[in-house]
Amino acid sequence: MISYTIRRLLLILPTAFAALSLLFGLFFLLPGDPATLIVGGANRNVPEEVIERAKVRYGLDESVPEQFVNYWKRTLRWDLGESFQNDRSVNEILGERAPNSIRLSFWAILIEIAVGLSVGIISAIRRYSVVDRVTTVITAVASAIPVFVLGFVLQYALAVYPNKHDWPEWAKLRVQGRGPDTWTLFFIPTGETWRYLVLPAITLASVSTALAARMMRGSMLEVSGSDFMRTAKAKGLSERSIVLRHGLRNAMLPVITLIGLDFATTIGTAVLTETVFNWNGIGSTIARAVGERDAPVMLALTLVVVIAYAVINLIVDLSYAFFDPRVRLDSGGHG
Amino acid sequence: MKKHRRLGVRLIAAVSALAIVAAACGDDDDEPGGSGSTSDIGQETTTTLDNTQLQVGGEIVDLGTFVGDPPEHIDPALNVTLDAYQVVNALYDGLTDIDTSDPANPKIVPHVAESYEANDDATVWTFTIRDGVEFSNGEQVLPSSFVRAWERASNPDFAGDYSYLFNFIKGGAEKLAGDAETIAGVTADDEAMTLTVELSSPYSTFDAIAGFQLFLPMPSAVDELDDQSEWENGLMIGNGPFKLEKPRTDEEIVLVRNDGWAGDANGDTTVTLDKVTFRTSADPDSAYNAFEAGEGDTANIPSGRVSEAEDNYATTLDVGILGVYYFELKQTDPVVGGEENVDLRRAISLAVNRDEINEAVYENTRQNATGVTPPGIPGFKEGLCEYCIYDQARAQELFDGWKADGNEITEPIKVQFNAGAGHEDVVAIIVDNLDAIGIPAVATPIDGETYFTQLAEGACQFCRSGWFADYPTYDNFSYDLFHSDAIGGNNHGEHNNPEYDELIDEAKATTDPAKSAELFQQAETMLLNDDVTVIPINWYKGDYVYNPEKISSFPQNNFGLIAWERVTVTDAG
Repeated sequence: MISYTIRRLLLILPTAFAALSLLFGLFFLLPGDPATLIVGGANRNVPEEVIERAKVRYGLDESVPEQFVNYWKRTLRWDLGESFQNDRSVNEILGERAPNSIRLSFWAILIEIAVGLSVGIISAIRRYSVVDRVTTVITAVASAIPVFVLGFVLQYALAVYPNKHDWPEWAKLRVQGRGPDTWTLFFIPTGETWRYLVLPAITLASVSTALAARMMRGSMLEVSGSDFMRTAKAKGLSERSIVLRHGLRNAMLPVITLIGLDFATTIGTAVLTETVFNWNGIGSTIARAVGERDAPVMLALTLVVVIAYAVINLIVDLSYAFFDPRVRLDSGGHG
Repeated sequence: MKKHRRLGVRLIAAVSALAIVAAACGDDDDEPGGSGSTSDIGQETTTTLDNTQLQVGGEIVDLGTFVGDPPEHIDPALNVTLDAYQVVNALYDGLTDIDTSDPANPKIVPHVAESYEANDDATVWTFTIRDGVEFSNGEQVLPSSFVRAWERASNPDFAGDYSYLFNFIKGGAEKLAGDAETIAGVTADDEAMTLTVELSSPYSTFDAIAGFQLFLPMPSAVDELDDQSEWENGLMIGNGPFKLEKPRTDEEIVLVRNDGWAGDANGDTTVTLDKVTFRTSADPDSAYNAFEAGEGDTANIPSGRVSEAEDNYATTLDVGILGVYYFELKQTDPVVGGEENVDLRRAISLAVNRDEINEAVYENTRQNATGVTPPGIPGFKEGLCEYCIYDQARAQELFDGWKADGNEITEPIKVQFNAGAGHEDVVAIIVDNLDAIGIPAVATPIDGETYFTQLAEGACQFCRSGWFADYPTYDNFSYDLFHSDAIGGNNHGEHNNPEYDELIDEAKATTDPAKSAELFQQAETMLLNDDVTVIPINWYKGDYVYNPEKISSFPQNNFGLIAWERVTVTDAG
């Protein structure tokens, strides 16, 4: 298992290299000369020499292959350059954004696991009951509501309404930002911070929670029809033991894959949630950087997303071994 | 100056539908005893500033200034948006100030300069700098502080979008082009406390421009920077009523009182607030939600929520802003441009129902435009535009006449606008209006981030634009938007009429205000009625909403700027 993990970690390098090289290439296909954008906007006729000097300063005067090599040399030293837009250090920008995104995703995924899985399991056990029917409708609706609509409604119901009706201070949730932004053990909000975290976390979790619940239900039902479940029943095991030890453990595999993908995805692409709640994360920063042709920011943040994807996928694969003893990670091929 | 182009607002269209629902809820939520008579307070936003009654102390959180992306620049040399000018204006004082106590007649008054004079033909201006004005770090503001700032802002490697203003100064063009080390026309004498500026051509209202952000002074600390772009990301030092508490972040800009402030143009050194926190919001509707949830004290009124905001809070909707919302018709376009198509352009202008736009989109909060230059600009005259009224019959007649001359429209005219910034509804009405007289047109949204760049590069056919005055001069509209010098910049319709240019140049050089005004009006009449390059729609109004239970006075002048040093809170503590 250890050698497997190391092998997989090493695989991140070529993956990141390929992904970023592709992005780097695409950047040069975007319309608009970055040097012209750096030195001035549309309202200014910039002398040619000035554009040239800016190109030299940002290394844009070299040929694309040379720039490519230089880019990788810097990146391997973890020097991510300066933003074209406001000259801020990209390392610094990344240092601000990445924890925000990771924390928000973490809580969204916890909600997805806690709510999504339990709802799915209950629906499966009580198939065709009122509870099952109601959750089926709710999950269908939840997965169809656009994120910004849900965010807007939640803001109104849980922040604006309480404020207008003089609810006690602690009961008013917050609409924008991260408040005092204080955390213990990286993930646990302290002080007022939780009031800022609740709404974006629920909003970000909504769609994936609904999907996880539906998938859990389907997976449980599929497993419950399989031979080993019938054997377990025949052995006279208790219902509880059948569901938890045999059913759940086997039904978890596809759901874990989904949750792992969700975790990785929400770190890098929670653009809408981040926008509606002013949660300054990676997704919205990448979106803005693309609009502004801000290559250093775009590439650096994407690199982090790629790494997060790879690491989380690895964790998911490792967890397969736990849930399904048939998976042998060190036996060569992939698990 | 352009209002900030909101980049993060692709969501708006969808959210605004929700806003209607929320607006309905908002009415129901009106608490008894809450804010019953707030509209009266709204009326007081422009009242005169009587310092004897100002309550000192307290702090506010502003959610109404930075809606969209975080401000790109807050360095006076680089900023181009009205949003960030709110911060620049609180941090710095310039040679002159604009006294807007009579909104209909803004006056230029000396500020950091205690006095100034121009020679007879307005080519040499001499400013005498006030003694005892200091930057917030204690350094004295000297004539050389201005020279330092101007040389910095005109350095071609650093200069911002407004740097073209240095062309007005002798040697400015050479400096910008990299052909000269310094601006030849500027001389500072720190002993005599005089700053002498020689212009490249006569300019009778240079004093108005001299107070603009590009010309604000800089302390010697800027000389120590390796890279000038570090200035705005650090603890930028100014000489205004406020100073930065800490370097800005993408999320907030925090200003605290500058106790060493030398005072406004009248020498009044009162700064009411202890602290102003500007928060950046990515989306206007959720910023408004945050305001309603008590997370801030001001907000920008999102479109479609005007009457809701008016009913529940105080607003600055009664403040007329010196800005115009208009469309341009490109003069070199084969379909709508040129002399032969002038009747088509007239028909288009007559067909547009400005009342309908004002009512349906702006809930009647704006003023229909009867020309480009808005009331409040010296030299303004009502009703210059013959074709800025809604007259469908005459529009039909002109269009039929144009067709009878053998012209035809083979492809629908593109009504272009920056997408996601709330212009969809305006354009939909215009397309409808044109359709009513048989002119085929199609709404053409363009990506907001590159919209103005594309227009500057010549993409305009029938395109939307908006402009806010930087200073109270007529030429801030007529020169910056329609002079041939501005082609490739803000003259998106590529208006190019030598006769017009000549009138503007002459008007700028004329020192007699009445005569100058006449020339400007003559030029604008030509622009509106003979060339018909521009179709003005309306003049702007203020769009801040604030909580009257917290804020007792929120003065916005007609440049859109808030006098932050005069904002008072009800409970100053």
